[in-house]
Amino acid sequence: MSEMILDQTSQAELNSLVEERFGHEPEWSLKRRREAVHALLNLDWPRLERTPLKKRKLDQIALFQAVPAPGVRPTPAPDGWAEIWLDNNQVVSVSVPDTLSQKGVRLEALNEALGDPEVEAQLGRLLGQDEDKVAALNGALWQGGVFLRVPAHLREVVQVSIRCHATAEAQAVFSKNLIICGSESHVVVTQRLETDDGGMKTMLSENTEIIVEDGGRVDFGAIQQCAPTVEGFIHRSGALGHDAVLNWNIGEFGSGLVVSDHVSHLNEPGASTASTTVFFGAGSQHQDYSAKSYHHAPHTTSNMVARGVMKNKARSVFTGLTQIEAGAKGSDGRQKEQTLMLSGDARADAIPSLIIDERDVFAAHAASAGPIDRAAVFYLTSRGLSEAEAERMIVHGFLAPVIDSIALPELRDEVWDAVERKIRA
Amino acid sequence: MSTPVLEISDLHMRIDEKQILKGLTLTIKGGEIHAVMGPNGTGKTSLAQCLMGHPRYQITGGSVRLDGQDMLAMKPDERARHGLFLAMQYPSEISGVTTANFLRAAINARREDGSSISLKEFRDRLDEVMRYLDMDPKFANRYLNEGFSGGEKKRNEILQMLMLKPRIAILDEIDSGLDIDAIKVVSKGVNSLKGADFGALIITHYQRILDYVRPDFVHIMVDGTIVKSGGPELALELDKKGYEWVRTELAQSTNQA
Ligand SMILES: Nc1ncnc2c1ncn2[C@@H]1O[C@H](COP(=O)(O)OP(=O)(O)OP(=O)(O)O)[C@@H](O)[C@H]1O
Ligand SMILES: [Mg+2]
Repeated sequence: MSEMILDQTSQAELNSLVEERFGHEPEWSLKRRREAVHALLNLDWPRLERTPLKKRKLDQIALFQAVPAPGVRPTPAPDGWAEIWLDNNQVVSVSVPDTLSQKGVRLEALNEALGDPEVEAQLGRLLGQDEDKVAALNGALWQGGVFLRVPAHLREVVQVSIRCHATAEAQAVFSKNLIICGSESHVVVTQRLETDDGGMKTMLSENTEIIVEDGGRVDFGAIQQCAPTVEGFIHRSGALGHDAVLNWNIGEFGSGLVVSDHVSHLNEPGASTASTTVFFGAGSQHQDYSAKSYHHAPHTTSNMVARGVMKNKARSVFTGLTQIEAGAKGSDGRQKEQTLMLSGDARADAIPSLIIDERDVFAAHAASAGPIDRAAVFYLTSRGLSEAEAERMIVHGFLAPVIDSIALPELRDEVWDAVERKIRA
Repeated sequence: MSTPVLEISDLHMRIDEKQILKGLTLTIKGGEIHAVMGPNGTGKTSLAQCLMGHPRYQITGGSVRLDGQDMLAMKPDERARHGLFLAMQYPSEISGVTTANFLRAAINARREDGSSISLKEFRDRLDEVMRYLDMDPKFANRYLNEGFSGGEKKRNEILQMLMLKPRIAILDEIDSGLDIDAIKVVSKGVNSLKGADFGALIITHYQRILDYVRPDFVHIMVDGTIVKSGGPELALELDKKGYEWVRTELAQSTNQA
């Protein structure tokens, strides 16, 4: 079984694999997996205009590998935080402070929560499993993930840390996360994605769905520092109720290939989202990001900011979409993308787009992608800084306004550290 | 510290296919102030930038030595660490990097023993120099040159010069666009460094700054070389008669030869 290669595998073989691994799950979940198996064999790899996947030979990866045993030993979370660790997609530790669990905050393995009718009702509503082969693989074979439920009307801000790590042996990591924030509660989630160097090619498919109920607020921060052997597909999507807030802080640094997006559905009046993406590519990394804000209701606001740096032969695409539907009066949608290229071989494209079907709105976008200013480098070196130090300073200056806007100090520091490592890489 | 000597001899330089410097010779020693004047497009900025090591220029002949050391073999930062400084005609704007952070990094980069200046010592010196130059302390925490007016940028160049204490400074049109008060301040800054261990090359179009920073030598540069040198009186003469006078004189002398 472990030698199965995607294009030589039959539906029957896959079904028995699913049965063998996930047969103990509730019927609704198994049924979805079987449906995904069926879809899988007929679907293509994602079709991305500027990111051809053919050459990457994704079907040569050991996609049906069972996850190896977990490797890391967790360290305790900061006081007052709820924290969950996943290693090779298996939950190895969960800690929720009593003060939070007594009030009904739930943080657990998603696999264990499948009996919950809310999970059955909500899982997969924002991210489907029949878009493409990766979505179907995730649907059929997802091994683990996190369920976070924050009840309504909590007074204190709930801090949650999600740590996902995979060892070099893992070659197929498919996960799903579901986050539901109750009305008028506020949760800050920090997710760290990391894998060890030195392994074979790995496919990482990570789906996160976030539901923010009326008046609730989710600050979702994530930092991805996977090994260059990783082919990552990271999808995040949020649905917002009345006056709900969803803030994204995304830092993307690792993986050989990363296809990553985050989407906000502003479903009810007063909902608002702000998103910040910082990315840094080096070596021969290929990064394809998109961010989307859908204004489905009046008086909704969105603000999307992205800044990226590309060095060596790295390549990035950032596509921003702000869509304001007819009837979404008084909405305000903005986006701004800027990328800096440190070498002649690096390439970065910023593609902003606005689709506006309502007159009474404000919408704006700005995008730029350009090489580092050689005159500025000369200026700094003329004062005694080495060229490398001058470039480092310019990159710092370029990213500072965005990174320093990250509200969570721990995440902000980690993003700076990641930037530093990339500059010196 | 020993008296610096910058020797530029028979320097030839071009950009792409265009020859800009055509055999320029000039020696600047500690204790001396030199002024270089010349019409637009004659190669003054190119000279300054190539002395500092701008990669855009190709040297096709001649040499530049500071205390006998070959400057042309060094990168801009090494030249700076040897004591060369260039106040640029058009300083770059560096977003997200404060003047203070940048200056501190520059001072640390120049320290040979690798020790870094303490925050307190640095702050004290910066405050002192800024006060001396009549600068609002807020400038230290603004991004380097970003949104600065022309005059503010020039003042910032002088601030950097005083903080970095170079041995030879090249000031490219440090006076352009300045009102008279600002010229006085900038001149005060230059004069404060005067002494046997400091030499300067002032590139200018105007006599005005030379009223405040008395040059020992004035050179007229036309078409990529120095065509005439003299004392401070040469600048006054040039101010009165204009470059046409130099050109006619030049033509006459070549006819006679
Ligand atoms: N990067 C460049 N590319 C092409 N030509 C250049 C470049 N830099 C300078 N030049 C040319 O070299 C010549 C000398 O220019 P430079 O700026 O050195 O003159 P300058 O004497 O400083 O003039 P000004 O008094 O106007 O400042 C000009 O003809 C200019 O167009
Ligand atoms: Mg000039």
